[in-house]
Amino acid sequence: MSINNVSKVVLIAKDEWRYWLRSKLAVTVLAIGLILTLSSVVVTAITMLELSHTRHELQTTSDKSFVDQPDRHPHRMVHYGHYAFRTPAPLSTLDPGIDAYTGNSIFLEGHRQNSAMFADSRQGTALTKLGSLTPAFIVQTLAPLLLILIGYSGISRERESQTLSYLLSQGTSGVTLIAGKGLALLSVVGLILTPLTVSALFTLGTDESLLAVVSFVVGYALYLTVWVLLILLASSVFSKNSGSFTALAFVWILLCIVMPRVASTTAAIVVPSAGKIETDFAVKADLRKLGDGHNTNDPAFEQFKQSLLKKYNVNSIDELPVNFRGLVASESEAKQTEVLNQFAQQRMQAELKQTQVSRYFGWVSPMVAIRSLSMIVVGTSIETHHRFLRETEQLRFDFVQGLNKVHIEELDYQDDMNRNADAAATKKARVSADNWKILQNFTFHSDSALVRAHRSTSAFLQLLLWIAVLAGGIKFVGKRLL
Amino acid sequence: MTTSTAINQRSPIEPQRVEQTRNKASNTTQATKNEAVIEVDSLNFSIKNNIILKNLSFSVAAGEVYALLGGNGAGKSSTLKTLLGFNKPNKGSVKVVGKEVSKALDFVRGKTAYLPESATLYPHLTARENVEYFLSLADIKKSDEQINAAFNRVALQQDAWDRNMQTYSKGMRQKTAIALAILREAPIFLLDEPTSGLDPVAIDEFNQLVRELALTGATILMVTHDVYGACQVANRIGLLKNGELVGEFNAPENGRINTEQVHAAFGDYKSRGN
Repeated sequence: MSINNVSKVVLIAKDEWRYWLRSKLAVTVLAIGLILTLSSVVVTAITMLELSHTRHELQTTSDKSFVDQPDRHPHRMVHYGHYAFRTPAPLSTLDPGIDAYTGNSIFLEGHRQNSAMFADSRQGTALTKLGSLTPAFIVQTLAPLLLILIGYSGISRERESQTLSYLLSQGTSGVTLIAGKGLALLSVVGLILTPLTVSALFTLGTDESLLAVVSFVVGYALYLTVWVLLILLASSVFSKNSGSFTALAFVWILLCIVMPRVASTTAAIVVPSAGKIETDFAVKADLRKLGDGHNTNDPAFEQFKQSLLKKYNVNSIDELPVNFRGLVASESEAKQTEVLNQFAQQRMQAELKQTQVSRYFGWVSPMVAIRSLSMIVVGTSIETHHRFLRETEQLRFDFVQGLNKVHIEELDYQDDMNRNADAAATKKARVSADNWKILQNFTFHSDSALVRAHRSTSAFLQLLLWIAVLAGGIKFVGKRLL
Repeated sequence: MTTSTAINQRSPIEPQRVEQTRNKASNTTQATKNEAVIEVDSLNFSIKNNIILKNLSFSVAAGEVYALLGGNGAGKSSTLKTLLGFNKPNKGSVKVVGKEVSKALDFVRGKTAYLPESATLYPHLTARENVEYFLSLADIKKSDEQINAAFNRVALQQDAWDRNMQTYSKGMRQKTAIALAILREAPIFLLDEPTSGLDPVAIDEFNQLVRELALTGATILMVTHDVYGACQVANRIGLLKNGELVGEFNAPENGRINTEQVHAAFGDYKSRGN
């Protein structure tokens, strides 16, 4: 494109802005777009900050409450449990992703793998669901609609008012005209993305990497560019404004509302996964086969008992230098955790496969592509959630086994067996509260920016393909514009 | 092959009248041939199987006003669009200032001022803003004084110059478009039904303006179905029917084309279909 053409493109873009500024509808739409984005950024940031603060307070309270427990039987502390809270990824203020549904904390206790909880979406009544008006939602779903409202008539308006043939007859090519209108729309994209970009840049001060911030902003810029091109194409193809608007409204509903649902439904059909109740039954059935870790006489531990007697070269469990009940609890916990991990692994694999199937729909819906890209880059994707589950499970196992170790080593077997005889026996079957200091500091970090960027490659490619195809279409139509 | 000969061959309906016209205007035809700015030769254009223009030939010289007269669907606007390169001919040649339109699109459009039937320009802009914008697109810079002078020349009332064009009448919009063409110093004007919808006073003003432009050497091709208006302003009139040139009338020196004669011919053709 020559310098002369570039200056023409800029002129056309400026005139489009002049038209928008003199048109009440366009100004209103622009104002709504800016206010929505800005307010959602501010509100979400405040909410996330509050939640982060609350999480920090709860973690401190939970840890303190655990450590402040008096002398107790160690297994009581296994069931007393404690909480692990995840510090949200810095960029999750802009896109909470699946965290809003999966939750950010887990109650850790013996013999059980609890689901994450305190999901934003499960808190409050329906009236408070406005909190889901996140910056990501605004840009992914509402921004295209705003762009459509502003730009649907960009070219068709010229055609309807016959200024198109006038412009073309004066030496302005169709491609130049479309490029000018496109530049104007891209400047609106820039405006919409400004609050998002500024907020994203702020996260650099909270340990987020520049690569992640750049990937995030570029991803959204590409996504909205897809919409700009779609709008330009529809406006160029249709001879009337009404035709252009109707087509774009249909495309918006299809790509932003229908396709994401089709993607998730297809994923659920292609990769079927057992429901929660069904899984819970199966887990329970498998756990029962392992025996009751609270009962040292459970036949399931007979073999274990024999191996111990052999190992310590003694004839009865009373002669063991360690607490047999503690050993059974530890053995039982290890076996149960193995089973629980198997089920968890199966569930996570199914979820990952479903996510992959869903992400393939990014080739046919830019909305699906940006949704995946955004969550991956921010660190609120399913992969990150799974890592959180794995890390907290390790934390839970270490915590429970740490208490079982205390049980094995610090509590005499006979005292343990007689714990319910009377008050004195109960008191005797306790260990020092100093043992509660076994809690590890849990800090969850997002994957490195490089890992996240690598993981989001296909979503980037999906958006780039959309842009390439649409740009080709526009060039074709632009040369035949009349 | 002269224009009149060509018409004689293609005009089975009224060969006598064409012959008369050719004799009357032999001097003009000769001049046209020598100074042709617009040359359309054996032009054929069709959309799918629908023939729009059939073996159309005519030429327009500098300083000449040529009116293509025809009913709805005769192919008038298609002729203009072909001259602007919007339509690609199936056969034949369309030249402007000696250059084939399809091969020199930018050049041709740079030389041409096209006024669509409804020259709305941009209603959200004032006349001055419209003119400035379109001139900028053509990379032409004009001072306020030059723009004012152009507005004065087309008799656009001063109080309207800085008013949004959505309040303009069609006549005022036409004047603004002509002022723009003047400022662009375009030597060729293509006018599509320029007087349709104008009141009689506005039509007179417009015709006067067109004549003045022709006197300055501009080449003007207008398409219209207004017989009276065409006779008032044109040096030559071509009758178009079903995409074919079926008759041509030339004005005598220092005179106008006989309205009755054209009217009769036009009415006759119209009664036969177009």
